[in-house]
Amino acid sequence: MLNAKIPAGPLEKRWEEYKGHVKLVNPANKRSLEVIIIGTGLAGASAAASLGELGYKVKAFCFQDSARRAHSIAAQGGINAAKNYQNDGDSVYRLFYDTVKGGDYRSRESNVHRLAEVSANIIDQCVAQGVPFAREYGGLLSNRSFGGTQVQRTFYAAGQTGQQLLLGAYSALERQVALGNVTLYTRHEMLDIVKIDGKARGIIARDLITGKLERHFGHAVLLASGGYGNVFFLSTNAMGSNVTAAWKATKKGAFFGNPCYTQIHPTCIPVSGEHQSKLTLMSESLRNDGRIWVPKKKDDNRKPADIPEEERDYYLERRYPAFGNLVPRDVASRAAKERCDAGYGVGSSKQAVYLDYAAAIVRYGKIEAGKRGEHNASPELIDKLGKEVVAEKYGNLFDMYAKITGENPYEVPMRIYPAVHYTMGGLWVDYELMTTVPGLYALGEANFSDHGANRLGASALMQGLADGYFVIPYTIGNYLADEIRTKAIPTDHPAFAEAEKQVQDTIDRFMNIKGTKSVDHFHKKLGKIMWDKCGMARNEKGLKEAIEEIIALRAEFWKDVRIPGSANEFNPELEKAGRVADFLELGELMCRDALNRRESCGGHFREESQTEEGEALRNDQEFDYVAAWEYKADGSYELHKEQLVFEECKPTQRSYK
Amino acid sequence: MKWSQFFNTSIGKKLLVGITGLFLCSFIIVHLAGNVQLLYNDGGKGFNTYAAFMGHNSLIQFIAWGLKIVILLHAIVAIQLTFSNRKARPVKYAVSPGNQTSSWYSRQMAIMGSILFIFIVVHLSDFWWKFHYQSLPTVSYEATGEPIKDLYTVVQFAFKESWLVVLYVIGMIALSFHLIHGFKSAFQTFGLNHVKYNGLINFVGVWLFGILIPLGFAIIPVVIFFK
Amino acid sequence: MEHYNMGLTLKVWRQKNKDDQGRFETYQVKDISSEMSFLEMFDVLNENLINEGKEPIAFDHDCREGICGMCSMHINGRAHGPWAGTTTCQLHMRAFKDGDTVTVEPWRAAAFPVVKDLTVDRGAFDRIIEAGGYISVNTGNAVDANAIPIAKDKADAAFAAAACIGCGACVAACKNSSAMLFVSAKVSQLAQLPQGEPERATRALNMVAQMDKEGFGSCTNTGACEAECPKEISLTNIARLNREFIRAGFTYEK
Repeated sequence: MLNAKIPAGPLEKRWEEYKGHVKLVNPANKRSLEVIIIGTGLAGASAAASLGELGYKVKAFCFQDSARRAHSIAAQGGINAAKNYQNDGDSVYRLFYDTVKGGDYRSRESNVHRLAEVSANIIDQCVAQGVPFAREYGGLLSNRSFGGTQVQRTFYAAGQTGQQLLLGAYSALERQVALGNVTLYTRHEMLDIVKIDGKARGIIARDLITGKLERHFGHAVLLASGGYGNVFFLSTNAMGSNVTAAWKATKKGAFFGNPCYTQIHPTCIPVSGEHQSKLTLMSESLRNDGRIWVPKKKDDNRKPADIPEEERDYYLERRYPAFGNLVPRDVASRAAKERCDAGYGVGSSKQAVYLDYAAAIVRYGKIEAGKRGEHNASPELIDKLGKEVVAEKYGNLFDMYAKITGENPYEVPMRIYPAVHYTMGGLWVDYELMTTVPGLYALGEANFSDHGANRLGASALMQGLADGYFVIPYTIGNYLADEIRTKAIPTDHPAFAEAEKQVQDTIDRFMNIKGTKSVDHFHKKLGKIMWDKCGMARNEKGLKEAIEEIIALRAEFWKDVRIPGSANEFNPELEKAGRVADFLELGELMCRDALNRRESCGGHFREESQTEEGEALRNDQEFDYVAAWEYKADGSYELHKEQLVFEECKPTQRSYK
Repeated sequence: MKWSQFFNTSIGKKLLVGITGLFLCSFIIVHLAGNVQLLYNDGGKGFNTYAAFMGHNSLIQFIAWGLKIVILLHAIVAIQLTFSNRKARPVKYAVSPGNQTSSWYSRQMAIMGSILFIFIVVHLSDFWWKFHYQSLPTVSYEATGEPIKDLYTVVQFAFKESWLVVLYVIGMIALSFHLIHGFKSAFQTFGLNHVKYNGLINFVGVWLFGILIPLGFAIIPVVIFFK
Repeated sequence: MEHYNMGLTLKVWRQKNKDDQGRFETYQVKDISSEMSFLEMFDVLNENLINEGKEPIAFDHDCREGICGMCSMHINGRAHGPWAGTTTCQLHMRAFKDGDTVTVEPWRAAAFPVVKDLTVDRGAFDRIIEAGGYISVNTGNAVDANAIPIAKDKADAAFAAAACIGCGACVAACKNSSAMLFVSAKVSQLAQLPQGEPERATRALNMVAQMDKEGFGSCTNTGACEAECPKEISLTNIARLNREFIRAGFTYEK
């Protein structure tokens, strides 16, 4: 059994107690303690800035050309916080409860409660940094509701919340760079962890411009390298998002938690053809006002406008009257897949459902007309006013849809389909966010901790910033306080040399294959296996097949991949090859984890475990644990379990009906 | 930031160009008002009296010298900026956007300015230099008493030369485009961009400084030429 | 929307590294779907090049949804191609027709040296932000988020400026390679918020000084940056930067 080092005492007092008794490092000692941070997204940038402010010597790494480009930037909808500004009954407890329930009782209560506690501080911090959240006319912050909750606790900046939050963290980070507390290494990719005497003591990084390998020492190493959704090739992640940092850590002894928990987001723009390189998310906030439907008739090829109201099946409203179109993501995604698989899908591929704004336009148009005293407004005026309101709220999303599809979503219902979006699984961490390797931490999406088997909308930004701004600055002190006597270890230490040699060998191996197929060829094949057999619905037979197929594909990859150019120059194909090689190993582990978990929970749906109505059916007796996998050898993993204890939220069958 | 540093920044330099530019704008209004007298049918009396007054009033002489310094300052700073702007793009694009993203005259301020500068040199050496430093025929009017230089006749004579008229027209076309962009650009450089006033600034820039004034200046040599 | 396939002639800038001279290479691509994005068309081209044993074209890209600011191509003379308010990754092949010749160049600016092919180094932007593009507030120093109300129009204007993605299209589009739109977007965002007030003067002074130091040109108000900005950042921000800078220059004591 794994020990998560959860503080004793009542749930709501634990973080307070912890902070009160955690070891501190005095300012003079902080100056000689070095911390390496991988990734500059919300978690990484906020951690780098906060630790720099505290006086630690921080080195931050990102593979992009600037820290500002990390994929947190693409988050659209918003960030949750238990501020209760709307006076609608929100509280820390409710946010905590919603998150545990939304995660289908597979997350750690203590972590989630802490997350809910610090959520309010995040909003304060961001506003102080100049993050321009949406405001009401009175000058106070605006909120909206988001899938899976019944209160309005989501703060947002149009459809660009992630961008604004990241730029806030990025500017705080750049401020520390200017002050000399943080050194930034852009276009650098971490390729291995260096362990000395069992502790994480540094990394090997490749300068992506020159191809040179570099050794960097740190008293502690923080991985804030994001999620691994790109294992599916097609996902809403950025092209460069990868698992490499987390995977190298896994191979150096960090356990990987719940790898099979992936979130399929219900509102994405459907695949248009073989050329597709990534999928684009349409913010979940669209479900606040849009209605989702398919025709009641199978293979109905009429235009949406020609299908009369009574021949439309608003299947979410029908199946889940209490939450309607606002059910959590996993539920909405599966419902869309169910309809399409049953033959009711729309569009040329039949793999899409409609997201319709016609009703919202009329509703808003009437309200707006009312405000202007136009009580007998013509339908044209209502339509015009309604479209203006919708444009104000969702304009950038509608524009994006129009650019990608060439269709006007104000006139024609949008076509949407679920796509891989977020990975709840990640490196296993204890209460202090430390992995099973001492001195190695994981933050944000890279860890497994707070979202259980399903993440609620607007919670990822909250978690990333909570980890970076408000958790790690405390918990890292508890470790580093014991490291003040450790002098910086010179990088000519044998452990560094050994790690660098291994990385170099792998690169040489890549370059010497000189095969016939591109990296993308293999990535696409892997993605197809994963999507078909370890995607929205999984079963034993499929998963077993997938494991065999992935092993075969991996062997073929190492025999036949072609990487042009050389290793000592800017070589994007070589970068991709390294990432895909890691995905080819992770994919197998995901399937093994999914196979092991013979229950349905959150984003993990095992066809063998469902209710008569087709809803996910958990098995709390057997599976209320975190599956943490220890890497033994290639293709060989040992399962460790962390028993989940639910003191406050008693697991029940989730119901959104 | 010290003044020397401030006026060495790109915005500081732009500010100098803008201030000097608007000063020159105010000058050309006065200049045109005076020169319109060349078209009066009074045998040059009004114009010559005006020229004599301008040439002898010491305050105006002081301003006139200031004007020349301002022109030089405007040109020198603008040339500095132009060179550093060129340096900012050492390799040019093979395909340029043409007028899709900006108006051609907004991009050609340096060319227009250079044409104007040549024009101003010719203009000054033709009239101002002659008026001040060469002996010209004189005329006497009752009002002034003493004989004054007959610049009017010099002008009438000069504009019988077709190449000079063409040069003046070209100079005024350059002035037009230089000011259509330059006038409103100066306000933008000062930070004065406001929806309530942009319309007015644009209107004055285009109609007064871009069309009316250059047209007024250009008409004079043309009319004299054809008289 | 009718879909169609097309063949194109591509003239692409190839440059091995920053020291290489660089030159155009011409490529043909066939069966390009009008539904592809411009970068997906490049994926096809690169896949072809790899299969032919040649080196693929290096180009920056990441999120492919128009927000990370990484993609950066100058397409037929236009930063991010012919569509207004669009990044290269969001440009779709519907913008072209069968038989078109498309010339693709990197951003051209002394301050953005070419790294390889179509990839440039935009580190200058980070250094400008380091010079003052932030509010100095350490974690934990903040008061309650609703303690200071901010008028909605101010907040909206600050947001509109903050929408800048730092892609560098403004520099690429400007005949002077000026970074004024980028700098003004950040200065403007923070100048309009009460939280930005304490550092208002130094921010404008330092960021402009750094901008000049990086070797960007000056602003001649042609408006090309605004026309090409994928986030449609307004020229009013440049006016505000000028105002902030002049105000600071005339009044700030140090």
